[in-house]
Amino acid sequence: MRPDTWIAGRELPSLSKSLTQAKIDAYARASGDFNPIHVDAAFAAATPFGGTIAHGMLLLAYISEMLTAAFGRAWLSAGRLKARFKGVARPGDTLTVRGRVERAQDEGRRLFAAVECVNQAGDLLVVGDVEVRLDG
Amino acid sequence: MDIELLEKGHRFAPVSFTLEEADVARYLEAVEDAALPSLCRAEGQAWAPPMAVAALALRGLMEAMGLPPGAIHGSQEFEFRRPVVVGERLASRAWLAHRSQRSGWLVLAVEMEATDEAGQAVLAGRASVLIPQ
Repeated sequence: MRPDTWIAGRELPSLSKSLTQAKIDAYARASGDFNPIHVDAAFAAATPFGGTIAHGMLLLAYISEMLTAAFGRAWLSAGRLKARFKGVARPGDTLTVRGRVERAQDEGRRLFAAVECVNQAGDLLVVGDVEVRLDG
Repeated sequence: MDIELLEKGHRFAPVSFTLEEADVARYLEAVEDAALPSLCRAEGQAWAPPMAVAALALRGLMEAMGLPPGAIHGSQEFEFRRPVVVGERLASRAWLAHRSQRSGWLVLAVEMEATDEAGQAVLAGRASVLIPQ
């Protein structure tokens, strides 16, 4: 997409994911992160979360998919993400990842966007700031 | 390693890792990423998902830290410097940038960098981890 296509206010292509324990388990195997808060129901039930939660990095993978779809090679070459985890994602949740260009600099070749991940109740799970250089 | 004794500035031992084709396939299936395969087909490249590179770099770090069960992510920053090709050998280096206590949690922030075999950075990041006390 040409740099002048990304103007302030433009929405990034959102995506939706249905989260299951099987998907969390699959991410644990793929990432090597077997922290029991993610994969051990009995352990997780005894924590303040009351049950298993998804890896934060799984939610960031969903955000990265959206940014790859939006910005292509530029995201891999010169992308920055600053994310804060505000809530937890649980098995059974339907997650929506979305974002919007906040501003553009250098004739649209340097973009700043806000991204977020919410659950089906609209609870904010991740908020993030993104910077991408389209000529990176 | 006793995480309670880690001091700000502590440098973790470097960790080397490679994202092989099977690792990438397993990762893409787990995160249901359709965008990266589409991009790779369009560009004729075999790039690794940037968050898979980040996850592997973090895994080595987390193993080195010996995080206790129940530790969770508080925040995460990444800066990608270039695409990583499947099969590249990388090394990650990390150091403890912050340590504090808050409401029954030990808060650690770790800064890290992953480099290629030429020593060039492909990824930099900062992770904050909350550890129940």
